Amino acid sequence: MSRTDSVTPPSRLNVLWHTWRFHLNILLLLIPLGFMPKYFADASLFRGDSGLGEREIGEVQVGPWSLRLAELRNEAPLLTGPAGYMKGFNAALCDSCREQVKATYLRIGKPRSLRAAGVIFFGTPYRMGALLPIPEKTKADAELWITMEGWDGSMHQAAVPLNQASPATVAWLNKQGGKP
Amino acid sequence: MIKVLRPLHAALLVLGVGFSASALAHNPMCECKAIDADQIKCTGGFSDGSGAPGVTLDVIGYDETILVPGKLGADSTVTFKKPGAEFYVLFDAGPGHVVEIDQADIEAPGT
Repeated sequence: MSRTDSVTPPSRLNVLWHTWRFHLNILLLLIPLGFMPKYFADASLFRGDSGLGEREIGEVQVGPWSLRLAELRNEAPLLTGPAGYMKGFNAALCDSCREQVKATYLRIGKPRSLRAAGVIFFGTPYRMGALLPIPEKTKADAELWITMEGWDGSMHQAAVPLNQASPATVAWLNKQGGKP
Repeated sequence: MIKVLRPLHAALLVLGVGFSASALAHNPMCECKAIDADQIKCTGGFSDGSGAPGVTLDVIGYDETILVPGKLGADSTVTFKKPGAEFYVLFDAGPGHVVEIDQADIEAPGT
């Protein structure tokens, strides 16, 4: 603000600003309140208070073991940089398999081998997370394959149809058309 | 005083945003191209922009035999002769950090 404009009469805008700026600042303080519901919903989702994820897929039997699977967000895959579209899944191992399961993997389509079993779940067995890349050319009738590896060296697999695992992803695939 | 600090704040904000994004995700990435009729060049890396020198990249047949065992060079690339049998490329940066590229998804030379 320059100090020389006291010579000229203050403009209408200037008067309005000086009259209302205090109230405007109070309004500015109120803006964050609008974001609070989303903030608390996210905080509760990531803390696990509102369940494993936004949409529970249910209990999936994988050989002698089972796990509870959920979509972190009930929405289409997100473009996360150069690695392409990603979709977050969460899982919790069954009570009896926590001690037995060494690793859990997730992949679209049947894995060719244990080495290529897909992305690995991170975190505690009570609440693990994995970020699954969704190729744009995925077919809408694809299956989500879960591979579990035990400390005893055994391996078990199970598949969940993608339209059951993530209807939002299938809707997204259908909408953008089957890429070659 | 405040005017002097302003560009500094902007720079800090840009730095903060930059670093948080790179910390968010570093998914493995791999791209393969046929450079001529029988040579294929694969480049590996991570989505945060870092390279992958020394990371395993195997060429595996559909029958699960390893046709060409390899490691990426200092420039994060490896070039191999196209196998006669059906194959896929497996960029293997550790369990759960793999990228598979089927032979059908490898671009022909000149495209």
